[in-house]
Amino acid sequence: MSKIIGSVEIGTSHSKALVGEVGENGSLRIIGMASRPNEGMRKGEINDFPKVASSVHAAIADAEKMSGTTIDSVYLAQSGSHLKGRMLHGSAYVSSSDNRVAVTDLERASEEAHRREADEGRNYVHFVRTPILLDGQVREDPVGMQGKKVDLSYWAIDGDEQAMRSSIHVISNYNIEVADLIVSSIASATMVAGPDLRRAGVLVIDLGAGVTDFVLYRQGFVAHSGVIPVGGDHVTGDLSMGLRILERYAEKLKLEHGKAAPDPTDEKQEVWMVGDRTIGDRSVSRKAITDVIHVRIVELFEIIHKELGELLSPEDLKGGILLTGGGSQLPGIEQVASKVLGLPVSKAGFPAGISPELAQPENATVLGLLHYGLQDHGLPGQSKTAHQTGFFGKIAEMVGIKP
Amino acid sequence: MSQENFLDSDLSFSPANENPGIRVKVIGIGGAGLSLVDGLTLDNFHGVEQLAVDVDSRALQDCIASDKLLIGRRHTRGMGTGGELSMGRKAAEEEKDVIRKKLEGVDMVFLLSGLGGGMGGGATPVIARLAREAGALVFAFSPLPFSWEKSRHAQSQESLGEVRKFANAVIPLPNDSLLQIGGADATALECFAEAGRNVSRGISAICSLVFRRGMIDVDFADLRKAFNRRAGRTLFGYGEGSGQDAIRQALRELMLCPMLHLPEVSKAADALLILITGGANLGMSALQQASLEIRDEFKAGEHVVFGAHVDENLGDRVKIVVLGATDLEAGMKADVAPSAEQVIFASTKARQAHESKLRRQGKEVVQPSPRVMGKRGKKESLEQNTFDFMDERNQRGIFDDSSRNLYEGEDLDVPAYLRRGVKVAI
Repeated sequence: MSKIIGSVEIGTSHSKALVGEVGENGSLRIIGMASRPNEGMRKGEINDFPKVASSVHAAIADAEKMSGTTIDSVYLAQSGSHLKGRMLHGSAYVSSSDNRVAVTDLERASEEAHRREADEGRNYVHFVRTPILLDGQVREDPVGMQGKKVDLSYWAIDGDEQAMRSSIHVISNYNIEVADLIVSSIASATMVAGPDLRRAGVLVIDLGAGVTDFVLYRQGFVAHSGVIPVGGDHVTGDLSMGLRILERYAEKLKLEHGKAAPDPTDEKQEVWMVGDRTIGDRSVSRKAITDVIHVRIVELFEIIHKELGELLSPEDLKGGILLTGGGSQLPGIEQVASKVLGLPVSKAGFPAGISPELAQPENATVLGLLHYGLQDHGLPGQSKTAHQTGFFGKIAEMVGIKP
Repeated sequence: MSQENFLDSDLSFSPANENPGIRVKVIGIGGAGLSLVDGLTLDNFHGVEQLAVDVDSRALQDCIASDKLLIGRRHTRGMGTGGELSMGRKAAEEEKDVIRKKLEGVDMVFLLSGLGGGMGGGATPVIARLAREAGALVFAFSPLPFSWEKSRHAQSQESLGEVRKFANAVIPLPNDSLLQIGGADATALECFAEAGRNVSRGISAICSLVFRRGMIDVDFADLRKAFNRRAGRTLFGYGEGSGQDAIRQALRELMLCPMLHLPEVSKAADALLILITGGANLGMSALQQASLEIRDEFKAGEHVVFGAHVDENLGDRVKIVVLGATDLEAGMKADVAPSAEQVIFASTKARQAHESKLRRQGKEVVQPSPRVMGKRGKKESLEQNTFDFMDERNQRGIFDDSSRNLYEGEDLDVPAYLRRGVKVAI
């Protein structure tokens, strides 16, 4: 029997909902998709709950209508600058007399890593496992191997409980469940960076309207992730202020004439703000537009550079840097990113099999949610249900029901 | 008074027409303040006195202000504060009585001080408080350091908050934005000169209103009534036009004035001062229309001070200066400076009151009346025949309603080009 599952991203410019059908063989087919403008968000966080709720609900309803079915639960993307990540470590000595690693050893190490509680008012969104070390050597599946000690690390992301609760409430108000909260950056990366790239090492930057999410993979595992509360809206805001024009015209100029880096052809070129040369229209220098955008974009990548520090090494990131999200469509942004970050940068593509209308950079997160949500993230050898109760427990705890 | 009457009655711009009896003091505090006082270009207003206050005796010696006050001798022995806020504050507190004496009987005080320094940042709030206690109306013009001067910038924000507690209106002059005004290769020096020009413009406008008689007259009592509350955010802008369509051009320039398009600047004013100065042929109907449009643009409430003056030297040029303040106290009068607790309490209320006002107003686009546009104006501007006011929803910055976005001491919501000092040539 096939299973219906949904995903929702409450984005700063749009709310997006997907309905997917999972076949018996585990294949995923997207059968419904909708996107609605969202005006209730600021920098990836809910600012006006009713506005957000009506936008999200409309998107879910549209997606359900298109699919001809209804959904009971969704994977929900979580972003916002309140998310903070850190590495947590755990280790355990192999307990069996023959020194062969058992699943229970891994679980003990994992428990130790999970022991650290989130701070007051905060809650964990993710524990993303990094490589398992058996006596200091990376082992994909050490169960059954001989050794003395296993080390486990988790990239743990926690966030503000209130903010996460609000986004879950948006969904539960529609009477569907949140199957899991998934950090936006990881969702996007799942979609645009395949296992090979992740093994080679890759940095995925998702340039959204409100925030910029990034995640860095080393040797196939998450090594760092973060959220910079700067997005496309900031570019629009800067243009509006710098050129002293209305925001909606700033947005229009950004989309039509925006470029990440100045080039000599901009000199003395003028473009019209509205375009119909009537009431209130005004010409704007093209150079001014590019100048304003350029400083902002450079600064954004500089902040990412600062955040990642030494992790940005060419040896560890053979897969280079991938840009996705709506902002990645800004012409010339790869060159600017590459100059600031010192690594090859390209626009992220989608794997084959995703229909062209879906395969847009701004859909990376919502698509990635489904893919990530369906993958098995347990420890090697662990049964799937064992760690999944953990996930459900997390959500239940957050909405106030004890599992 | 109609235009004809006005012309007949020969009220020319001369000191003889100045309103007597009102005493104004321009006080420069600290290094930046002293140079602002030195650079002031005011028309000869009688009754405007200047006072320079500093802890640095050498700087004070070089200043051309008529009256000087050296404070904090005990702590600094006549040297500077070395950027220490507490030093400036202590110096001013200790010489309270001397400063009070200097403020006796003064009706209006202009405080000029750079808030990045120890003297300006530390002493200005103290002197503002003393001036308010002495019963004066206090306007502060406060240059702020570049945001790349990180610690000084942070310190200046703190001082700005302090000055706002006491002054009736504080006009911040951030160096970041002043740099945007000059030509494409403007230097920091020109940026300071621009700060000086802004201060001169502001003070001249206010003094003209008070001291000179014009075709539309206001007096000190009106001004006092309008600004008698402590101000929250302020706005300050100017525009100039010339030729047939001068007033319209001036309006357009006013609306594009860079000083009005800063993140910190208020988009609405509870108290608004408008001064339009023009040559002899300033038309009454055009004036009224302009005043209406300006009021509408800044969503001005009942506290509007509108003055129109004729300066024959201007010929066919028209100058507009506006200065507005949002009401921090939401209706409370504050003749005596309130305590810090009250300020914190009042500010949240004021924000609510202010926001609700914006919402209530609804969308009103001003239709410029045809009589304002000269015959030639219509023909000339085939590409752009009217001036369209921005609608209010779009006037508010995108991030106005969200929390500050601090990263290593910089607010990322403030446009990057402003913080990085990149010039935008529009």
